[in-house]
Order: sequence, then structure tokens, then C-alpha cells
Amino acid sequence: MRGDTEMGKSTQIAEFGKKLMAMGKVDNALELISKEAKELLRAQRCSIFIVDEQDEILWTKLSDGIGRIVISLDSGIAGETYKQKAPQIVNDPYKNKHFLKSIDQKSGFVTKNIITTPIYSSRRDIIGVIQLLNKSRGEFDEKDLEDLAFFANYISGTLELILMQQ
Amino acid sequence: MKYDNTYAKLSVFGRQLLNKKSLTEGLPHISKYVKDVIGAQRCSIFINDNVKDELWTTIADGVDKIIIPRDKGIVGQTLKEKKPILVEDVSKNPHFLSNIDKETGYKTKNILTAPIFNSQRMIIGILEVLNKEDGFDNEDVKFMIFFAHYISGFLELANIYSQQDEG
Repeated sequence: MRGDTEMGKSTQIAEFGKKLMAMGKVDNALELISKEAKELLRAQRCSIFIVDEQDEILWTKLSDGIGRIVISLDSGIAGETYKQKAPQIVNDPYKNKHFLKSIDQKSGFVTKNIITTPIYSSRRDIIGVIQLLNKSRGEFDEKDLEDLAFFANYISGTLELILMQQ
Repeated sequence: MKYDNTYAKLSVFGRQLLNKKSLTEGLPHISKYVKDVIGAQRCSIFINDNVKDELWTTIADGVDKIIIPRDKGIVGQTLKEKKPILVEDVSKNPHFLSNIDKETGYKTKNILTAPIFNSQRMIIGILEVLNKEDGFDNEDVKFMIFFAHYISGFLELANIYSQQDEG
């Protein structure tokens, strides 16, 4: 939450929250969350990976036009977030051994930097991972992480409720 | 499951809550809802004030602000243990603060609490319900945990507002 637009931003988040709570379906909710997260963090792309512990996968419906992505629970930066139960900042993904180049190759998108954070349920299980790509200016930093942690917690209750009802 | 219908309708409450612009407006709304859903006589939301080292709450039923030290009462115990506490009979619990009952003239029989965490995993408040006729059960505890988490985003956002107002 930055600078003199703070109040406006808080109101905006509350308005977003109301819209999110009106979403009945996971897909629509994920789309709305992605859009808001991108604006908040000023990033080019956003994916929300949902944890499926039974099938040991992370899946996401929306990566802005490249369809459904399914990765195994321990792969990619998102998988690393799940495994370590901790946020990740990767400002040089092509030098990171966990980064999945194949997704870039498939989509034609070039990932420059990545920030992720786990989304927890009320029982403190990780139900998802929110991931943003390519900050519009500079690299992701600690302040971004703080904003993203707030945002992930803000949406987590609603996301938990929606997933419960699927 | 007795809460199935509640979960299905919870987003209606959530949207109403997000229309409240401050803690002063939001807290009574939360209290009333929890009381009705759980079937308890009273509900308080204690706010954890790190600076003043105290827990405070306002009760909708007209009693003034109640302030307790952070290490006192079932609420203080919740803060310490960082988990929900169910007390079936307060008269048998050494942590129970009987002087608050004396002050308010209210007779507390049983208590259920749940901590409310912010995104940094710090406890920003404690949800407390008092006096359920047949006693609180495991389903009530589960709902309290879920609900405390559900409203935590609102409380954290409202905290950002109030800090701006004071600053």
C-alpha cells in the first residue's frame, strides 16, 4: 500500500473483495483475483495455482490466454513455494534451476522476474499459490512481498469458501 | 452438518461487512452475525493493541469499552496459546476473569474463543462468544476457526484505514 493513494487503494480493495465474494465459481474468482493482483503489484501476468494434494498437482485455469496449466506439486517456482511454505522472489528465472522454461516456450512469453506467495486456509494448509510475473518497472522487492502477503491473506477466506463448495 | 447452509450464505454477510468502512462500524456487524449463527448470547471481538499492551473490546449491548491486560482471562490465554479455547464451565477455569461479570452484572457460563491472524501471522484480534444454551461443540469450534480467518482480511484492511486516520 503505497504513498498518497493509500486511501483510494484500500477502498478499491474493499470493492474488489465484495465482487470476489459474489463469485460462485472458482474459474471466475481466479480471473478476478488475477486482474486485481496485477494492478496492485503492477505486474504483467498473474496465475493462481490451486493445490490438489490428492493428485499431487498444482493447476491454474488462467494464465492470460494460454489455457489450463497443470504442474506437479513440487515443480516450478510455484511448487517450490508450496514445498518450502514460503514466498519466493526470483529476479533471474533463467538462472534458477526450479524455473520451468517449457511454459515460456509453449506460451511465447518471456519471464523476467517472478514473485510468489502461499495462500493458506483457516486450518493453515496451503490451498494455493499466487504468482506474478514481470514487474512493470524494476525487480520485485520486499515491499512487493508485503503487499502480496496482505493480498493473499485478504482473498484466502473467500477462496477457501469457494473451494469448499465446488 | 449444521453449518452447511451458513457456509453457503456466508458471502452475503461478507459483502455487507466490506461495506463498513471502519472497525467501529464493522465490529458490531461481525458480533451480531456470529452470535446469531452460533446461537450464543454474546459475542465480543477483542482488538490486540501491541503499543498499549492491552486487549480492548466494545460491547454492542451498551457497556463501555472493556480493556484487559494481554496476559489475562481466557482471551489472554488464547493470545498466548495462539489457538481456539473452549471453556465448558468458567467457574472451573483459573484464567476466567470473574470481575468483568461483576462489573457488567452478566453471568458467564461457557466461552469459546478463536484468534484472528493477519497476513504476517500476528494475532490482531480475538473472537469470543459467550453462553450457548447446550454448550459449544466441535462444529462450533470449526466454524469459529473458519470465520476468524474469513474476516481477517477485513480487519487488516480496516487497520490500515485507522492508522491513516490517526497518522
